[in-house]
Amino acid sequence: MSPRYSPAVLDHFTNPRHVGTLEDADAVGKGGGGPLCPEDMAYVWIRVRDGRIVDIAHKTMGCPIAISSSSMTCTLAVGKELGEALAITSAVVIAALGGVPERRADSVVAPEALRKAIAAYRER
Amino acid sequence: MDVDVIRTDFPILQRKVHGKPLIYLDNAATTQRPRQVLETLAHFYMTYNANIHRSPHRLGEEATELYEQAHEKVAQFIDAEDEGEIVFVRNTTEAINLVAVSLLRPESGDLRLRPGDEVVVTILEHHSNFVPWQALCQEHGLALRVAGLREDGTLDMDDLARLIGPRTRLVCCTHISNVLGTIVAVPEVARLAHAAGALLLVDGAQSVPHMPVRVQELGCDFLAFSGHKMLGPFGVGVLYGRRALLEQMAPFLYGGDMIAEVTTERSTWNCLPWKYEAGTANVADAIALAGAVDLRTGWELTGAVDYLEAIGMEAIRAHECALLSRLLAGLRAIPEVRLYGPPAAAERGAVVSFAVEGADPFLLAQLLDDEGIAVRAGGHCAHPLARHLHVPGTVRASPYLYNTPEEIDHFLEATEQVIRRRIL
Repeated sequence: MSPRYSPAVLDHFTNPRHVGTLEDADAVGKGGGGPLCPEDMAYVWIRVRDGRIVDIAHKTMGCPIAISSSSMTCTLAVGKELGEALAITSAVVIAALGGVPERRADSVVAPEALRKAIAAYRER
Repeated sequence: MDVDVIRTDFPILQRKVHGKPLIYLDNAATTQRPRQVLETLAHFYMTYNANIHRSPHRLGEEATELYEQAHEKVAQFIDAEDEGEIVFVRNTTEAINLVAVSLLRPESGDLRLRPGDEVVVTILEHHSNFVPWQALCQEHGLALRVAGLREDGTLDMDDLARLIGPRTRLVCCTHISNVLGTIVAVPEVARLAHAAGALLLVDGAQSVPHMPVRVQELGCDFLAFSGHKMLGPFGVGVLYGRRALLEQMAPFLYGGDMIAEVTTERSTWNCLPWKYEAGTANVADAIALAGAVDLRTGWELTGAVDYLEAIGMEAIRAHECALLSRLLAGLRAIPEVRLYGPPAAAERGAVVSFAVEGADPFLLAQLLDDEGIAVRAGGHCAHPLARHLHVPGTVRASPYLYNTPEEIDHFLEATEQVIRRRIL
Protein backbone atom coordinates (compact mmCIF):
# COMPACT_ATOMS: atom_id res chain seq x y z
CA MET A 1 0.00 0.00 0.00
CA SER A 2 1.32 3.42 -0.96
CA PRO A 3 2.30 5.67 1.93
CA ARG A 4 0.44 8.51 0.20
CA TYR A 5 -3.12 9.46 1.02
CA SER A 6 -5.57 8.38 -1.69
CA PRO A 7 -7.59 10.99 -3.63
CA ALA A 8 -10.73 9.91 -1.71
CA VAL A 9 -8.98 10.41 1.65
CA LEU A 10 -7.88 13.90 0.59
CA ASP A 11 -11.36 14.71 -0.74
CA HIS A 12 -13.16 13.60 2.43
CA PHE A 13 -10.52 15.22 4.63
CA THR A 14 -10.61 18.64 2.96
CA ASN A 15 -14.38 18.54 2.45
CA PRO A 16 -15.81 16.24 5.11
CA ARG A 17 -19.49 15.27 4.83
CA HIS A 18 -22.06 15.02 7.65
CA VAL A 19 -20.01 17.09 10.10
CA GLY A 20 -21.75 18.32 13.25
CA THR A 21 -24.32 16.99 15.68
CA LEU A 22 -28.01 16.09 15.27
CA GLU A 23 -30.43 18.11 17.42
CA ASP A 24 -33.03 15.34 17.27
CA ALA A 25 -30.70 12.36 17.39
CA ASP A 26 -32.03 9.05 18.65
CA ALA A 27 -28.63 7.78 19.76
CA VAL A 28 -24.93 8.63 19.85
CA GLY A 29 -21.81 6.47 20.02
CA LYS A 30 -18.12 7.12 20.58
CA GLY A 31 -15.20 5.46 18.81
CA GLY A 32 -11.43 5.62 19.23
CA GLY A 33 -9.57 7.54 21.89
CA GLY A 34 -8.19 4.24 23.14
CA PRO A 35 -4.62 3.19 23.74
CA LEU A 36 -4.09 2.07 20.12
CA CYS A 37 -4.58 5.56 18.72
CA PRO A 38 -5.25 8.06 21.50
CA GLU A 39 -5.12 11.01 19.11
CA ASP A 40 -8.12 9.89 17.07
CA MET A 41 -11.70 10.02 18.38
CA ALA A 42 -15.17 10.30 16.82
CA TYR A 43 -18.76 10.74 17.96
CA VAL A 44 -21.51 9.59 15.60
CA TRP A 45 -25.15 10.66 15.99
CA ILE A 46 -28.00 8.82 14.24
CA ARG A 47 -31.67 9.48 13.67
CA VAL A 48 -33.67 6.33 12.94
CA ARG A 49 -37.13 5.93 11.35
CA ASP A 50 -38.67 2.50 10.65
CA GLY A 51 -35.38 0.74 11.36
CA ARG A 52 -33.47 2.88 8.87
CA ILE A 53 -30.81 5.58 9.46
CA VAL A 54 -32.48 8.68 8.01
CA ASP A 55 -29.91 11.17 9.26
CA ILE A 56 -26.37 10.94 10.56
CA ALA A 57 -23.63 13.29 11.76
CA HIS A 58 -20.15 13.02 13.21
CA LYS A 59 -17.63 15.08 15.10
CA THR A 60 -14.12 13.77 14.72
CA MET A 61 -10.84 14.78 16.22
CA GLY A 62 -7.66 13.43 14.65
CA CYS A 63 -5.54 12.93 11.57
CA PRO A 64 -6.70 12.98 7.93
CA ILE A 65 -7.52 9.28 8.07
CA ALA A 66 -9.75 9.75 11.11
CA ILE A 67 -11.58 12.71 9.54
CA SER A 68 -11.98 11.21 6.06
CA SER A 69 -13.03 7.79 7.35
CA SER A 70 -15.70 9.34 9.57
CA SER A 71 -16.99 11.26 6.59
CA MET A 72 -17.02 8.07 4.51
CA THR A 73 -18.66 6.03 7.29
CA CYS A 74 -21.55 8.50 7.46
CA THR A 75 -21.80 8.66 3.66
CA LEU A 76 -22.09 4.88 3.52
CA ALA A 77 -24.48 4.61 6.48
CA VAL A 78 -27.12 7.20 5.64
CA GLY A 79 -30.30 5.56 4.26
CA LYS A 80 -29.22 2.07 5.38
CA GLU A 81 -31.18 -0.28 7.62
CA LEU A 82 -29.55 -0.77 11.02
CA GLY A 83 -28.47 -4.33 10.17
CA GLU A 84 -26.85 -3.15 6.95
CA ALA A 85 -25.17 -0.27 8.76
CA LEU A 86 -23.59 -2.70 11.22
CA ALA A 87 -21.80 -4.27 8.26
CA ILE A 88 -19.90 -1.01 7.68
CA THR A 89 -16.67 -2.15 9.28
CA SER A 90 -13.32 -0.45 9.30
CA ALA A 91 -12.27 -2.65 6.36
CA VAL A 92 -15.34 -1.58 4.34
CA VAL A 93 -14.61 2.10 4.97
CA ILE A 94 -10.93 1.71 4.11
CA ALA A 95 -11.84 -0.03 0.85
CA ALA A 96 -14.30 2.74 0.00
CA LEU A 97 -11.51 5.28 0.56
CA GLY A 98 -9.24 3.44 -1.85
CA GLY A 99 -7.01 2.25 0.98
CA VAL A 100 -5.06 4.00 3.72
CA PRO A 101 -1.29 4.02 4.26
CA GLU A 102 0.14 0.96 5.96
CA ARG A 103 -0.26 0.48 9.72
CA ARG A 104 -2.65 3.40 10.04
CA ALA A 105 -5.98 1.55 10.09
CA ASP A 106 -6.25 2.29 13.82
CA SER A 107 -7.19 5.85 12.91
CA VAL A 108 -10.47 4.64 11.40
CA VAL A 109 -12.68 5.18 14.46
CA ALA A 110 -16.18 6.07 13.16
CA PRO A 111 -17.34 2.48 12.45
CA GLU A 112 -16.92 1.74 16.16
CA ALA A 113 -18.85 4.91 17.02
CA LEU A 114 -21.62 3.95 14.58
CA ARG A 115 -21.79 0.43 16.01
CA LYS A 116 -22.12 1.81 19.53
CA ALA A 117 -24.77 4.32 18.43
CA ILE A 118 -26.81 1.48 16.89
CA ALA A 119 -26.38 -0.62 20.04
CA ALA A 120 -27.48 2.34 22.19
CA TYR A 121 -30.52 2.86 19.93
CA ARG A 122 -31.53 -0.79 20.25
CA GLU A 123 -31.15 -0.71 24.02
CA ARG A 124 -33.40 2.32 24.47
CA MET B 1 33.88 20.61 -3.37
CA ASP B 2 31.83 21.46 -6.43
CA VAL B 3 28.22 20.44 -5.93
CA ASP B 4 27.31 21.08 -9.56
CA VAL B 5 29.93 18.55 -10.65
CA ILE B 6 28.87 16.08 -7.95
CA ARG B 7 25.26 16.30 -9.12
CA THR B 8 26.20 15.17 -12.62
CA ASP B 9 27.26 11.84 -11.07
CA PHE B 10 23.71 11.19 -9.84
CA PRO B 11 21.40 10.58 -12.82
CA ILE B 12 18.32 10.35 -10.59
CA LEU B 13 18.70 13.99 -9.57
CA GLN B 14 17.72 14.96 -13.13
CA ARG B 15 14.36 13.27 -12.66
CA LYS B 16 11.07 15.11 -12.47
CA VAL B 17 8.43 14.21 -9.92
CA HIS B 18 4.84 15.36 -10.55
CA GLY B 19 6.30 17.51 -13.30
CA LYS B 20 8.68 19.32 -10.91
CA PRO B 21 12.44 18.86 -10.57
CA LEU B 22 13.16 16.31 -7.84
CA ILE B 23 14.51 17.77 -4.59
CA TYR B 24 15.68 14.76 -2.64
CA LEU B 25 15.81 15.50 1.10
CA ASP B 26 15.22 12.01 2.48
CA ASN B 27 18.86 10.99 2.79
CA ALA B 28 18.53 9.79 6.37
CA ALA B 29 16.25 7.05 4.97
CA THR B 30 18.45 6.16 2.02
CA THR B 31 20.78 8.09 -0.26
CA GLN B 32 21.07 8.11 -4.04
CA ARG B 33 23.93 6.28 -5.78
CA PRO B 34 26.50 7.85 -8.07
CA ARG B 35 27.08 6.48 -11.55
CA GLN B 36 30.55 5.25 -10.48
CA VAL B 37 29.10 2.92 -7.84
CA LEU B 38 26.46 1.59 -10.23
CA GLU B 39 29.18 1.00 -12.84
CA THR B 40 31.24 -0.95 -10.32
CA LEU B 41 28.26 -3.20 -9.64
CA ALA B 42 27.73 -3.82 -13.34
CA HIS B 43 31.45 -4.21 -13.99
CA PHE B 44 31.85 -6.77 -11.22
CA TYR B 45 28.99 -8.90 -12.50
CA MET B 46 30.12 -8.60 -16.12
CA THR B 47 33.81 -9.26 -15.52
CA TYR B 48 34.67 -10.93 -12.21
CA ASN B 49 31.54 -12.66 -10.98
CA ALA B 50 32.26 -15.91 -9.09
CA ASN B 51 31.83 -17.27 -5.61
CA ILE B 52 34.63 -16.43 -3.20
CA HIS B 53 36.90 -18.47 -0.89
CA ARG B 54 35.94 -21.74 -2.54
CA SER B 55 36.29 -21.69 -6.31
CA PRO B 56 39.72 -22.86 -7.54
CA HIS B 57 39.62 -20.89 -10.77
CA ARG B 58 40.74 -17.51 -12.00
CA LEU B 59 37.38 -15.76 -11.55
CA GLY B 60 37.01 -17.11 -8.04
CA GLU B 61 40.49 -15.91 -7.21
CA GLU B 62 39.85 -12.42 -8.58
CA ALA B 63 36.48 -12.06 -6.85
CA THR B 64 38.03 -13.19 -3.56
CA GLU B 65 40.85 -10.67 -3.89
CA LEU B 66 38.43 -7.81 -4.63
CA TYR B 67 36.15 -8.80 -1.76
CA GLU B 68 39.04 -8.96 0.71
CA GLN B 69 40.26 -5.57 -0.49
CA ALA B 70 36.78 -4.21 0.27
CA HIS B 71 37.30 -5.16 3.93
CA GLU B 72 40.69 -3.40 3.97
CA LYS B 73 39.21 -0.27 2.41
CA VAL B 74 36.48 -0.02 5.05
CA ALA B 75 39.01 -0.70 7.82
CA GLN B 76 41.09 2.27 6.61
CA PHE B 77 37.99 4.44 6.20
CA ILE B 78 36.97 4.14 9.87
CA ASP B 79 40.51 3.70 11.22
CA ALA B 80 40.12 0.09 12.36
CA GLU B 81 43.29 -1.87 13.23
CA ASP B 82 42.91 -4.26 10.29
CA GLU B 83 40.44 -5.89 7.92
CA GLY B 84 39.69 -8.69 10.41
CA GLU B 85 37.68 -6.18 12.40
CA ILE B 86 35.32 -5.48 9.47
CA VAL B 87 32.36 -7.81 9.04
CA PHE B 88 30.00 -7.30 6.10
CA VAL B 89 26.37 -7.77 7.04
CA ARG B 90 23.06 -6.75 5.47
CA ASN B 91 22.64 -3.44 7.27
CA THR B 92 22.95 -1.67 10.63
CA THR B 93 20.07 -3.70 12.04
CA GLU B 94 21.77 -6.99 11.22
CA ALA B 95 25.09 -5.75 12.63
CA ILE B 96 23.44 -4.96 15.96
CA ASN B 97 21.52 -8.24 16.01
CA LEU B 98 24.79 -10.06 15.31
CA VAL B 99 26.27 -8.67 18.51
CA ALA B 100 23.11 -9.41 20.50
CA VAL B 101 22.88 -13.03 19.30
CA SER B 102 26.60 -13.67 19.73
CA LEU B 103 26.75 -12.28 23.25
CA LEU B 104 23.97 -14.62 24.35
CA ARG B 105 25.76 -17.76 23.21
CA PRO B 106 27.59 -19.75 25.91
CA GLU B 107 30.67 -19.85 23.69
CA SER B 108 31.16 -16.10 24.23
CA GLY B 109 32.53 -17.08 27.67
CA ASP B 110 32.94 -14.21 30.10
CA LEU B 111 31.56 -11.79 27.50
CA ARG B 112 28.27 -13.68 27.62
CA LEU B 113 25.22 -11.74 28.80
CA ARG B 114 23.49 -13.41 31.72
CA PRO B 115 20.30 -12.95 33.76
CA GLY B 116 20.70 -10.04 36.14
CA ASP B 117 23.09 -8.17 33.83
CA GLU B 118 22.13 -4.73 32.60
CA VAL B 119 22.10 -3.12 29.17
CA VAL B 120 21.99 0.68 28.91
CA VAL B 121 20.52 2.37 25.84
CA THR B 122 19.33 5.93 25.19
CA ILE B 123 15.90 7.32 24.35
CA LEU B 124 17.43 8.58 21.08
CA GLU B 125 17.77 5.10 19.62
CA HIS B 126 16.33 3.99 16.31
CA HIS B 127 14.31 0.78 16.71
CA SER B 128 17.31 -1.11 15.32
CA ASN B 129 19.36 -0.28 18.42
CA PHE B 130 16.45 -0.50 20.85
CA VAL B 131 14.19 -3.43 20.02
CA PRO B 132 16.99 -6.07 19.87
CA TRP B 133 18.10 -5.09 23.38
CA GLN B 134 14.56 -4.82 24.72
CA ALA B 135 13.74 -8.31 23.37
CA LEU B 136 17.04 -9.76 24.60
CA CYS B 137 16.52 -8.34 28.10
CA GLN B 138 12.93 -9.57 28.29
CA GLU B 139 13.75 -13.06 27.03
CA HIS B 140 16.87 -13.61 29.11
CA GLY B 141 16.15 -11.79 32.36
CA LEU B 142 18.40 -8.77 31.92
CA ALA B 143 17.45 -5.22 32.87
CA LEU B 144 17.21 -2.53 30.18
CA ARG B 145 18.00 1.04 31.29
CA VAL B 146 17.09 3.98 29.08
CA ALA B 147 19.00 7.26 29.39
CA GLY B 148 16.99 10.43 28.78
CA LEU B 149 17.50 13.82 27.19
CA ARG B 150 18.21 17.32 28.35
CA GLU B 151 15.74 20.10 27.53
CA ASP B 152 17.74 21.08 24.41
CA GLY B 153 17.52 17.61 22.83
CA THR B 154 21.04 16.53 23.76
CA LEU B 155 21.73 13.30 25.63
CA ASP B 156 21.58 13.72 29.42
CA MET B 157 25.10 12.58 30.31
CA ASP B 158 24.36 12.81 34.04
CA ASP B 159 21.42 10.46 33.62
CA LEU B 160 23.60 8.13 31.55
CA ALA B 161 26.36 8.20 34.20
CA ARG B 162 23.75 7.37 36.86
CA LEU B 163 22.40 4.41 34.89
CA ILE B 164 25.77 2.85 34.14
CA GLY B 165 26.66 0.73 37.15
CA PRO B 166 28.57 -2.37 38.23
CA ARG B 167 26.01 -4.69 36.58
CA THR B 168 26.13 -2.85 33.24
CA ARG B 169 27.67 -5.13 30.62
CA LEU B 170 26.85 -3.20 27.50
CA VAL B 171 26.07 0.41 26.57
CA CYS B 172 24.37 0.95 23.19
CA CYS B 173 24.00 4.42 21.80
CA THR B 174 23.54 6.16 18.53
CA HIS B 175 26.24 8.51 17.24
CA ILE B 176 23.69 10.81 15.58
CA SER B 177 19.95 10.66 16.25
CA ASN B 178 17.97 9.95 13.08
CA VAL B 179 15.16 12.15 14.42
CA LEU B 180 16.72 15.05 16.34
CA GLY B 181 20.11 15.10 14.64
CA THR B 182 21.71 15.18 18.08
CA ILE B 183 25.41 14.29 17.99
CA VAL B 184 26.22 12.14 21.00
CA ALA B 185 29.59 12.69 22.69
CA VAL B 186 30.67 9.11 22.07
CA PRO B 187 34.21 9.41 23.56
CA GLU B 188 32.62 10.52 26.83
CA VAL B 189 30.11 7.65 26.72
CA ALA B 190 33.03 5.29 26.04
CA ARG B 191 34.86 6.54 29.14
CA LEU B 192 31.76 6.01 31.30
CA ALA B 193 31.10 2.55 29.86
CA HIS B 194 34.69 1.35 30.10
CA ALA B 195 35.14 2.73 33.62
CA ALA B 196 32.27 0.43 34.63
CA GLY B 197 33.76 -2.50 32.75
CA ALA B 198 31.02 -2.39 30.09
CA LEU B 199 31.33 -2.59 26.31
CA LEU B 200 30.13 0.18 24.00
CA LEU B 201 28.21 -0.39 20.78
CA VAL B 202 27.64 2.65 18.58
CA ASP B 203 24.99 2.97 15.85
CA GLY B 204 26.82 4.94 13.19
CA ALA B 205 24.10 4.76 10.51
CA GLN B 206 23.63 8.54 10.48
CA SER B 207 27.22 9.57 11.24
CA VAL B 208 29.58 7.46 9.11
CA PRO B 209 28.05 8.74 5.84
CA HIS B 210 28.26 12.39 6.87
CA MET B 211 31.40 13.14 8.85
CA PRO B 212 34.85 11.74 9.63
CA VAL B 213 34.32 8.77 11.97
CA ARG B 214 37.38 7.06 13.44
CA VAL B 215 36.77 4.19 15.80
CA GLN B 216 40.04 4.80 17.67
CA GLU B 217 38.92 8.36 18.48
CA LEU B 218 35.41 7.29 19.42
CA GLY B 219 36.76 4.56 21.70
CA CYS B 220 33.84 2.26 20.86
CA ASP B 221 34.00 -1.52 20.91
CA PHE B 222 31.47 -1.99 18.11
CA LEU B 223 30.31 0.30 15.32
CA ALA B 224 27.40 -0.54 13.02
CA PHE B 225 26.46 1.24 9.79
CA SER B 226 24.66 0.74 6.48
CA GLY B 227 25.97 1.03 2.93
CA HIS B 228 22.78 2.41 1.43
CA LYS B 229 22.89 5.53 3.60
CA MET B 230 26.35 6.40 2.23
CA LEU B 231 25.90 6.15 -1.55
CA GLY B 232 26.39 2.36 -1.54
CA PRO B 233 24.01 -0.39 -2.60
CA PHE B 234 21.09 -1.70 -0.58
CA GLY B 235 21.76 -4.95 1.25
CA VAL B 236 25.26 -4.39 2.56
CA GLY B 237 26.28 -2.95 5.91
CA VAL B 238 29.22 -3.13 8.27
CA LEU B 239 29.92 -4.29 11.77
CA TYR B 240 33.21 -3.11 13.18
CA GLY B 241 34.30 -4.96 16.29
CA ARG B 242 37.53 -4.82 18.27
CA ARG B 243 39.66 -7.81 17.31
CA ALA B 244 40.03 -9.19 20.83
CA LEU B 245 36.26 -9.20 21.24
CA LEU B 246 35.47 -10.73 17.87
CA GLU B 247 38.10 -13.43 18.57
CA GLN B 248 36.40 -14.36 21.82
CA MET B 249 32.76 -13.99 20.82
CA ALA B 250 30.64 -16.84 19.46
CA PRO B 251 29.63 -16.83 15.78
CA PHE B 252 26.37 -15.24 14.66
CA LEU B 253 25.16 -17.51 11.85
CA TYR B 254 26.51 -21.01 11.25
CA GLY B 255 27.21 -22.50 7.84
CA GLY B 256 29.64 -22.44 4.98
CA ASP B 257 32.86 -20.38 4.92
CA MET B 258 32.68 -19.46 8.62
CA ILE B 259 34.31 -22.74 9.69
CA ALA B 260 37.89 -23.94 9.94
CA GLU B 261 37.16 -27.64 10.35
CA VAL B 262 33.97 -29.67 10.60
CA THR B 263 33.59 -33.23 11.82
CA THR B 264 30.40 -35.04 12.74
CA GLU B 265 31.24 -34.29 16.38
CA ARG B 266 32.27 -30.63 16.35
CA SER B 267 33.32 -27.62 14.32
CA THR B 268 35.93 -24.93 14.70
CA TRP B 269 35.71 -21.43 13.33
CA ASN B 270 37.46 -19.58 10.55
CA CYS B 271 39.73 -16.61 11.30
CA LEU B 272 38.40 -13.04 11.38
CA PRO B 273 36.35 -11.66 9.81
CA TRP B 274 35.11 -14.80 8.01
CA LYS B 275 33.97 -16.40 11.27
CA TYR B 276 31.07 -13.92 11.17
CA GLU B 277 30.27 -14.17 7.46
CA ALA B 278 28.45 -17.46 7.07
CA GLY B 279 27.17 -18.53 3.67
CA THR B 280 27.80 -16.96 0.29
CA ALA B 281 28.71 -13.32 0.80
CA ASN B 282 27.10 -10.30 -0.84
CA VAL B 283 30.28 -9.86 -2.85
CA ALA B 284 29.23 -7.34 -5.48
CA ASP B 285 27.46 -4.99 -3.09
CA ALA B 286 30.39 -5.02 -0.66
CA ILE B 287 32.81 -4.14 -3.48
CA ALA B 288 30.47 -1.39 -4.70
CA LEU B 289 30.29 -0.04 -1.15
CA ALA B 290 34.01 -0.06 -0.45
CA GLY B 291 35.79 -0.14 -3.78
CA ALA B 292 38.73 -2.28 -4.92
CA VAL B 293 41.42 -2.44 -7.58
CA ASP B 294 42.03 -5.28 -10.01
CA LEU B 295 45.75 -5.66 -9.33
CA ARG B 296 46.42 -7.48 -12.61
CA THR B 297 44.94 -4.87 -14.92
CA GLY B 298 45.01 -1.87 -12.62
CA TRP B 299 41.29 -1.42 -13.24
CA GLU B 300 39.71 0.59 -10.41
CA LEU B 301 36.30 -0.44 -9.22
CA THR B 302 35.13 2.75 -7.53
CA GLY B 303 33.16 2.17 -4.35
CA ALA B 304 31.01 4.55 -2.37
CA VAL B 305 33.84 4.87 0.16
CA ASP B 306 36.24 5.89 -2.63
CA TYR B 307 33.72 8.42 -3.86
CA LEU B 308 33.24 9.95 -0.40
CA GLU B 309 36.98 9.97 0.35
CA ALA B 310 37.79 11.69 -2.95
CA ILE B 311 35.54 14.57 -1.89
CA GLY B 312 36.66 14.35 1.73
CA MET B 313 34.52 13.72 4.78
CA GLU B 314 35.54 17.09 6.30
CA ALA B 315 34.34 18.90 3.18
CA ILE B 316 31.08 16.95 3.17
CA ARG B 317 30.47 17.80 6.81
CA ALA B 318 31.20 21.50 6.17
CA HIS B 319 28.84 21.54 3.18
CA GLU B 320 26.08 19.91 5.22
CA CYS B 321 26.60 22.32 8.14
CA ALA B 322 26.03 25.25 5.78
CA LEU B 323 22.85 23.64 4.43
CA LEU B 324 21.71 22.84 7.97
CA SER B 325 22.17 26.43 9.18
CA ARG B 326 20.12 27.66 6.24
CA LEU B 327 17.44 25.04 6.88
CA LEU B 328 17.22 25.77 10.61
CA ALA B 329 17.13 29.54 10.14
CA GLY B 330 14.48 29.28 7.42
CA LEU B 331 12.22 26.98 9.45
CA ARG B 332 12.59 29.18 12.52
CA ALA B 333 11.25 32.10 10.47
CA ILE B 334 7.93 30.25 9.91
CA PRO B 335 5.86 30.90 13.05
CA GLU B 336 3.74 27.71 12.82
CA VAL B 337 6.83 25.47 12.71
CA ARG B 338 8.04 23.72 15.82
CA LEU B 339 11.64 22.51 15.51
CA TYR B 340 13.09 19.59 17.44
CA GLY B 341 16.67 18.89 18.44
CA PRO B 342 19.69 20.98 19.37
CA PRO B 343 19.52 24.58 18.11
CA ALA B 344 23.01 24.91 16.57
CA ALA B 345 23.98 23.28 13.27
CA ALA B 346 27.41 22.43 14.71
CA GLU B 347 25.77 20.25 17.38
CA ARG B 348 23.76 18.16 14.97
CA GLY B 349 23.93 15.85 12.01
CA ALA B 350 22.22 16.45 8.70
CA VAL B 351 18.73 15.78 10.01
CA VAL B 352 15.99 18.31 10.77
CA SER B 353 12.64 17.21 12.19
CA PHE B 354 9.76 19.59 12.66
CA ALA B 355 6.04 19.70 13.23
CA VAL B 356 3.48 22.27 12.14
CA GLU B 357 0.92 23.36 14.71
CA GLY B 358 -2.30 21.41 14.17
CA ALA B 359 -1.12 19.81 10.92
CA ASP B 360 -0.73 16.18 9.96
CA PRO B 361 2.94 15.43 9.13
CA PHE B 362 2.03 12.79 6.54
CA LEU B 363 -0.18 15.22 4.65
CA LEU B 364 2.47 17.94 4.85
CA ALA B 365 5.01 15.51 3.36
CA GLN B 366 2.54 14.52 0.65
CA LEU B 367 1.85 18.16 -0.29
CA LEU B 368 5.61 18.74 -0.49
CA ASP B 369 5.88 15.65 -2.70
CA ASP B 370 3.38 17.29 -5.04
CA GLU B 371 6.07 19.99 -5.41
CA GLY B 372 8.73 17.38 -6.21
CA ILE B 373 10.24 17.49 -2.71
CA ALA B 374 11.01 14.15 -1.04
CA VAL B 375 10.94 14.21 2.78
CA ARG B 376 9.99 11.66 5.40
CA ALA B 377 7.04 11.83 7.80
CA GLY B 378 6.10 9.86 10.88
CA GLY B 379 7.84 8.43 13.91
CA HIS B 380 11.02 7.61 11.96
CA CYS B 381 11.40 4.13 13.50
CA ALA B 382 12.04 5.74 16.89
CA HIS B 383 8.67 5.48 18.63
CA PRO B 384 10.03 5.66 22.20
CA LEU B 385 11.54 9.05 21.30
CA ALA B 386 8.29 10.24 19.66
CA ARG B 387 6.42 9.38 22.87
CA HIS B 388 9.09 11.07 24.96
CA LEU B 389 8.68 14.27 22.91
CA HIS B 390 4.85 13.95 22.97
CA VAL B 391 4.58 14.09 19.19
CA PRO B 392 2.85 11.39 17.15
CA GLY B 393 4.98 12.33 14.16
CA THR B 394 7.20 14.90 12.52
CA VAL B 395 8.37 15.83 9.05
CA ARG B 396 12.07 15.17 8.51
CA ALA B 397 14.33 16.83 5.96
CA SER B 398 17.81 15.33 5.67
CA PRO B 399 20.26 16.83 3.15
CA TYR B 400 23.44 15.28 1.78
CA LEU B 401 26.46 16.23 -0.28
CA TYR B 402 24.51 16.71 -3.52
CA ASN B 403 21.91 19.11 -2.13
CA THR B 404 22.25 22.82 -2.89
CA PRO B 405 21.37 26.00 -0.98
CA GLU B 406 18.83 26.73 -3.75
CA GLU B 407 17.10 23.43 -3.04
CA ILE B 408 16.92 24.30 0.65
CA ASP B 409 15.40 27.68 -0.21
CA HIS B 410 12.89 26.01 -2.51
CA PHE B 411 11.97 23.54 0.22
CA LEU B 412 11.46 26.41 2.70
CA GLU B 413 9.27 28.35 0.25
CA ALA B 414 7.18 25.28 -0.54
CA THR B 415 6.76 24.48 3.16
CA GLU B 416 5.59 27.99 3.90
CA GLN B 417 3.20 27.97 0.93
CA VAL B 418 1.69 24.65 1.98
CA ILE B 419 1.14 26.03 5.47
CA ARG B 420 -0.40 29.26 4.07
CA ARG B 421 -2.84 27.28 1.91
CA ARG B 422 -4.36 26.16 5.21
CA ILE B 423 -5.63 22.84 3.91
CA LEU B 424 -3.62 20.97 6.48
